[in-house]
Amino acid sequence: MSKLRFVVPAVAAALILAACGSSDDSADGEKWSYKSGDGKTYTADEIPDRIIAQGESAAALLSYGIKPVGIYLSEPVEQNRSLAGFDLDGIEILGEEWGKIDAEKAAELKPDLIVSSYWPVEKAYGGMENAVEESSKKVGKLATIVGPTAGESIETMLTGYEDLAESLGADTESGDGAAAKADYEAAKERFKSVVAEKKGLTALGVSPADDLLYVAVPEHSAELTDFVEWGLDVTIPDSPNPDFPYWENLSWEKADKYQPDLILLDDRTYDTSLATAEKQPTWTSIKAVEAGAITPWPAYWVSTYADYAEQLQKLADAIEKADPDLT
Amino acid sequence: MTTDLLHQAAPAARHRNGAALGVGLLVLIGVLAVVCVMSITLGTRGIGLGSIIDAFRDRDDSVDATVIREMRVPRTLIGLSAGIALGLAGALLQGLTRNPLADPGIMGVNTGASAFIVSSIAILGTQAMTTYIWFGFIGAAVSVVLVYGVASFGREGATPVKLALAGAAISAGFYAITTGVVMTNIDALNQMRAWQVGSLAGRYWPELQYSAPFIVVGAILALTLGRALNGLALGDDMATALGQRIVLTRSVVFVAVILLAGAATAACGPIAFVGLVIPHVARALCGPDYRWILPYTLVLSPIILLLADIAGRLVLKPGELQVGVVLGVLGAPAFIALVRNRSLAKL
Repeated sequence: MSKLRFVVPAVAAALILAACGSSDDSADGEKWSYKSGDGKTYTADEIPDRIIAQGESAAALLSYGIKPVGIYLSEPVEQNRSLAGFDLDGIEILGEEWGKIDAEKAAELKPDLIVSSYWPVEKAYGGMENAVEESSKKVGKLATIVGPTAGESIETMLTGYEDLAESLGADTESGDGAAAKADYEAAKERFKSVVAEKKGLTALGVSPADDLLYVAVPEHSAELTDFVEWGLDVTIPDSPNPDFPYWENLSWEKADKYQPDLILLDDRTYDTSLATAEKQPTWTSIKAVEAGAITPWPAYWVSTYADYAEQLQKLADAIEKADPDLT
Repeated sequence: MTTDLLHQAAPAARHRNGAALGVGLLVLIGVLAVVCVMSITLGTRGIGLGSIIDAFRDRDDSVDATVIREMRVPRTLIGLSAGIALGLAGALLQGLTRNPLADPGIMGVNTGASAFIVSSIAILGTQAMTTYIWFGFIGAAVSVVLVYGVASFGREGATPVKLALAGAAISAGFYAITTGVVMTNIDALNQMRAWQVGSLAGRYWPELQYSAPFIVVGAILALTLGRALNGLALGDDMATALGQRIVLTRSVVFVAVILLAGAATAACGPIAFVGLVIPHVARALCGPDYRWILPYTLVLSPIILLLADIAGRLVLKPGELQVGVVLGVLGAPAFIALVRNRSLAKL
């Protein structure tokens, strides 16, 4: 079934929307093509302009001035970090809960493209994973679904969004999009040089919950992959959860298993997570916690150059203050 | 029913039976003590016996000692009190409703408490145990009143079947509320998962401190109700004829159930099966007399809850499996076995 799902959308798209097709190389006469996160190149005779996008992807498109007709999110819209500051007037909200997209409303919008990032671990586009409701999966069949992979690095993903925006007719060479990219390049260089000055500094990505301490596996987090690439030594947990390899599930009894110099704390729920962690008698058995070396980790939500630039500057500040000889 | 009456009326048989059951209860108390020691010594963190003894003797500040004193001991005591509470609440409800399938889970008491606690956190923000234990009681009370009220419609009153059906429906409604609140609140996703599946992890002295007093009161109340439940087992008409004040008895039983299930849920989330299965095990061991079923349930329930929790700590190292999940996995086949082995209609 799960394998079928990746063939079916392409076939269905070809049948339902004769205008759209999928092939490994773009043939002549097709006006639009995009190499998507699943490795395939999708093409169409017309440039798509009725787009339904998943929340973070919508933010990426909006940052290039492309306004989707509908969006679906994993949380209430006001809680979505990446969409903060964008004008959402006139955009239909199709879902504000993971796994639930209003398929009828989505069909009424007559989309000609769906944009969401691709998650290689689940082998699915965000919102179309195996465990979502059947009606949500139907949305994936309304139109071709594309998006950059979220499974490599944020840099790859942002480049992917840039390519997509360009293919959809946006100007990525000048204007706000280009300015944000320049800010990002500057932030990235600063991050690299700050890290280079802190030889031996180790960092650990964590997300505390009330029954377990989740420790991030860097290769499955696009942000942490970038940080590692840029020289930061992010600790790799040795026994990730085989069913959900993004994390190692650590019981609070074993909270002191890893001793980094700097804690990167999942910022999607920063305040509540910190409060939960502080309730645990063993939280302070992590020396970095005792030393106050905790900083927000922008986990799984960054999708624009502007957001990433801002977050990298904050991280660089935290790294500058951290003590590489703590442990 | 009549054979039970005759059985209870035979003084000689009762006496012999009583002595054997008393010894059995003492043996089980010994087993419970052993299980408590196991719960303190076994866990995801390997701690040698020497360090455990040091943790109590030297009161040092090592991580091992912190884990023992601040995590394992309160966890064990919470497991102990929650086990007692859930088991007794189940036995009381089964006796009261003469329904073999009654338990705080099926009657919607745990899910009601959970739904109220989760909603209170979502609306009022994160609070201390001191606040939300009251929402636990309110939720437990509301669900008992709702279930009993709905089941009482119609001429024949709250029959066992109607109670079970009303309980299942209202329980499903409350579970939907809990899930809805948790799913739509991003902060809630990780933090409130515990209100969907019960767990003894991440609960420490404060949780114990605020739930244990209510459980002690509820348990004492429950243990005094044995004779009254024996009377109710004969049916409402017979019980009335024997001079029982049915409405009063029912009210006291409900108060005890609300105290026990509400406090246990506030301490560790909704845990099913203990309240359903353990009273049946107790009944299988000591017959239909609630004066024995209640103390047997009191001792057996924490044994099972703690064993399930210990298993959950050891199967997924370095992580843990919530005790609610372990009991779901172990409880279902155990219950099927019970149903097949005993004629449940005897209640």
